[in-house]
Amino acid sequence: MSKKVFIIDIDRCNGCHACQVACKDEHVGNDWTPIAKSQPDTGQLWLKLTQEVRGSVPKVKVAYRPHLCMHCDMAPCMDACPVEGAIYKREDGLVIIDPETCSGCRSCVDACPYQTIFFNEELNIAQKCTGCAHLLDEGWKEPRCVDACPTAAIQWMDETEAKELISKSEVWKPEMKDEIRPRVYYMNLPGRFIAGTVYDPIEKEVIIGADCTLTEKSIGKVFRVKTDNYGDFWFEGLAEDEFDLQIEKDGRVESFTGLDTVEKDVNLGDIALSFRE
Amino acid sequence: MSKGKSHGKVPENNEKTVYKALGLSGGIFGAAPCAVDVKNGKIVRIRPLHYDSKYDSKQFNPWNISKNGKSLKPMMKALPSPFSLAYKKRVYSPNRIKYPLKRVDWDPNGNRNTQNRGKSKFVRISWDEATDIIAGEINRIHKEYGPLAILIQGDGHGECMFVHATHGCSTLLLDKMGGFTQQVRNPDSWEGWYWGAKHVWGPGLIGMMNPAKNIVKDISENSEMILVWGGDPETTPWGFRGQFASNIVRFWSEIGIKQVYICPDLNYAAAIHADKWIAILPNTDAALQLAVIYMWIKEGTYDKAYVETHTVGFEKVRAYVMGEEDGEPKTPEWASERCGVPEWTIKALARDWAKKITTIGHYFGGGMIRGPLSHEPARLEVILLGMQGLGKPGVHQAQIAYQGMPRSIIARAGGHMGMFQNLANTPSGDRLLKPHKTTPTAWGKQLIPKTLIEKAINNPPVHFWGTGGHEVPTEDQFKKYTYPIPEEEGGTEIRMLWTDTPCRITCWNCGNEISETMKSPKVEFILAQHPWMENDCLHADIVLPVNTTLEVEDISPCIRDGDSFQSIVHMKEAISPIGESKSNYEAVCEIAKKLDKYEEVTEGKTSSELVRDVFEGMGFDDLISWEEFEEKGYYVFPVAEDWEKDTPGLYNFYKDPEANPLPTPTGKLEFYSDSLARHFPDDGERPPIPKWIERSETHDERMSSKRASTYPLLLMSNHSRWRVHAQCDDISWTREIHTCKVKGFDGYMYEACWIHPQDAVKRGIEDGDIVRVFNERGGVLCGARVMERIMPGVISVDHGARADTIIPGELDRGGAINTITPAGLTSKHCAGEATSGFLADVEKVTPEQMGKWMSNYPDAFEREYDPASGLRFDAWIVGEK
Repeated sequence: MSKKVFIIDIDRCNGCHACQVACKDEHVGNDWTPIAKSQPDTGQLWLKLTQEVRGSVPKVKVAYRPHLCMHCDMAPCMDACPVEGAIYKREDGLVIIDPETCSGCRSCVDACPYQTIFFNEELNIAQKCTGCAHLLDEGWKEPRCVDACPTAAIQWMDETEAKELISKSEVWKPEMKDEIRPRVYYMNLPGRFIAGTVYDPIEKEVIIGADCTLTEKSIGKVFRVKTDNYGDFWFEGLAEDEFDLQIEKDGRVESFTGLDTVEKDVNLGDIALSFRE
Repeated sequence: MSKGKSHGKVPENNEKTVYKALGLSGGIFGAAPCAVDVKNGKIVRIRPLHYDSKYDSKQFNPWNISKNGKSLKPMMKALPSPFSLAYKKRVYSPNRIKYPLKRVDWDPNGNRNTQNRGKSKFVRISWDEATDIIAGEINRIHKEYGPLAILIQGDGHGECMFVHATHGCSTLLLDKMGGFTQQVRNPDSWEGWYWGAKHVWGPGLIGMMNPAKNIVKDISENSEMILVWGGDPETTPWGFRGQFASNIVRFWSEIGIKQVYICPDLNYAAAIHADKWIAILPNTDAALQLAVIYMWIKEGTYDKAYVETHTVGFEKVRAYVMGEEDGEPKTPEWASERCGVPEWTIKALARDWAKKITTIGHYFGGGMIRGPLSHEPARLEVILLGMQGLGKPGVHQAQIAYQGMPRSIIARAGGHMGMFQNLANTPSGDRLLKPHKTTPTAWGKQLIPKTLIEKAINNPPVHFWGTGGHEVPTEDQFKKYTYPIPEEEGGTEIRMLWTDTPCRITCWNCGNEISETMKSPKVEFILAQHPWMENDCLHADIVLPVNTTLEVEDISPCIRDGDSFQSIVHMKEAISPIGESKSNYEAVCEIAKKLDKYEEVTEGKTSSELVRDVFEGMGFDDLISWEEFEEKGYYVFPVAEDWEKDTPGLYNFYKDPEANPLPTPTGKLEFYSDSLARHFPDDGERPPIPKWIERSETHDERMSSKRASTYPLLLMSNHSRWRVHAQCDDISWTREIHTCKVKGFDGYMYEACWIHPQDAVKRGIEDGDIVRVFNERGGVLCGARVMERIMPGVISVDHGARADTIIPGELDRGGAINTITPAGLTSKHCAGEATSGFLADVEKVTPEQMGKWMSNYPDAFEREYDPASGLRFDAWIVGEK
């Protein structure tokens, strides 16, 4: 068995929830002991798709992110578990909670920094994503979520083959990366955006080709774009930080200081840049 | 009971895999083929069919579209939507009708109590009793009134089944007993194009651009911009084909085609693919379109030579747009007031469009094509395309993935039924195709458009122009029809409704009027057949339990564009029927037995034999033997060798309009329609050139209306992301999704109503609140989703949520927004529905208000309900369950 990783490309995710639903289809009402017992019909999402609505009308985007067990190499759940061997790591990297030896103490549920372990009250056991190990062991190439994904946004790959993709990826809670070593990698996580439309309020025209200069204050990094045919400018993939922006066309200037992307994306709306004195 | 059992030997280890097309368009065009794993008679899982699981993919001759070093390729698996993958929840739904039902206070030999339809509950009866009653009623009605007194509502959406057609099996029986009145389904996803665009470019495909061959490649190679106008390629394809459109749209971004989305909401495609979102008020597209034309004329940036050689009537459009006709030039400023798009953005769009080779994309029209007077924006769309050289490389109207994919070897004549011409000529052809004809053609002896049934019952006679049938000629729209037809021809009023998988209350025009009309004593008997106890079934007198596609053997040709490959699927029986359910066809056969028509209806064939007849009748045995097909369970049609050479779209017309005329009276694009002028000289709602119409005799739904002071918001209703019309509303796994249902303070899962934060704050509404959406026609309770995905001034509720009546005809809890949509047709001569873009308001529902309803209407709140799946079948049953 070679070691595997999940590679999730956020750019390709269309938010269809086929992954979330396929996981339910596999595990609700089906008993896969010794890998997993049935999960409750609702309330537990071993793979959960979240969505974030970013910006304001009409500069809005939606970011989707699938959350699942990270199958960490140094899993906190394994450390926390008081029962010898009740949570174990397979050769392929998947972390499994043994439904037969789990004592129901919930230590793992609390220990997981990603909150991807759930407690099944009825069965008195902790449960989470198994990577569909029971299917892989029967010869399936990939787990249900990967099989269901229509855009190859979520992939199940050999770690060695995934090296290049991993180098372009981030993990969730990167500050813990070295401590727990998760096996789920996210590519193209969107940063923040700052956007707006530049127009002439007297002529009632958009201003095309205005120079927009954005400075990330803490590091002094400068970004430049020109407004497009709709007078729009977008600065995307930004860090959560404070920015100054200057817009200039034909000698007229409009400035914004202290634009804050820490909490959310910034839509500056329609920015008037009049050419009449 | 149909003769013969399902195919397939039972595997020794009690495990098997069968294939099922789990699209939900309800017709003979299957889609979303899935593999269903079954063990011990229970469905274990449903997963995408992998095309290459039993065949070497080389034999598919996979296609490839490349540009700028990127490639669009087929995927080796089907791409079903989440609700197709979750379909076992529909099979095992607690909402399933398990046995035949009779309304408690409906006595065919005594008091029918029609006033209680929708209120009174049901008792269990046997199939024997049910079919006796039904046969008795049919005989009585035929005797007293004539065969045309039975209305067959044999169309709509549902599972993809061929032999056991989801709709129209009743025609197999009644057609042998003197006929019936046919409900002709208005072209609900194509209204504006059907009633409008047809008069500009000819019949098209239900009014959409046709031919539209090979446009996916052509757009990829030549288009610089695509305006996705009103439709949502990340939503609507799901039920009809699956998710391949998502990959096409993403590819177009990768190769640098600019994507501009023009819609009131940030729909699911706009949310991830839009380079620009132009937020526009619902049903105001005509204003924006006219302003774009104004800019092009003013700045001389349209294709003047093309307009000269390929169109007629431009001068009249020019005069209207420039204000010479009514003194009001259709400037961007004029338009901005009406459509909510900033003046500067309108100008920018007009200029960018003139500079770039542009296609207009849809997947049907969403809100754009289903509003009041939708023929006006539809015609303007064709005029806009015409002014920029429609048919030239990269300039198309594209129903993304629905048309124009690389052609398979079996793609034949176009049109809805064209693909089945060979089958039609076989001995079984009539039997196999008749039920499916009720959607595309108007062939019943007496006809009534689906949108006019209430008028037919309440206030006959009804006059209508054009039946609305998908595949009738354009000229049909000039023909005046009358219901009832003359008595000498057997004409009579409707006395009985026979409906299969119905959902008019929550999907059609003014559901409140529909449910009230069903109480009419004129309608002596309502018979429904359906798998689930929901919507119109609650208003029936007898309900027959129908099984799902998983419970019966059938065959599904997945042969329309939209997925990586086309295929044919042998849909073997997965599990035994639930309860006493039978297929739609088997149910009709049971009734036929009691009328001594069984042999005539079945023509001596078993269902299994008919499955094989489809296969052979369509000529598939030229490609693969029946034995091999039966063994493998599916077959993938190879891509044609020369598909790349297919002429894209209207290219031939563009190149030489004289040699390749359009199927219009002049052979050209008719910006001005002389036929409309001659046939409807005084029609201000659909004049000979398309116009902006502020209000009309049929509709008064604009912000300028006096009504807007009471109902100041415009409501938009789209095809739902998580359902297909009324289907799949009870799947607990989709109901958990954020934009699907909203958990109210009372634990009930309400249909989401999208509200902009500005409008919410004004009304003291917060995300998660229970709200009432209302206008004069009634109110609907929803759950507020306050977010920036909807523009200010607009609220959005998708159609199709299951009705859960609190006050009959007045207040619904289930979120069935169509209960309060306009009753009026698209326009007075166009019997389409206008169910998006109308005035409404929304208010917060407090616990006190809810408490008042609970005490005044306790029955409504005592129905058995489970938040996970919603209303239960048991809620409607009395006595033994």
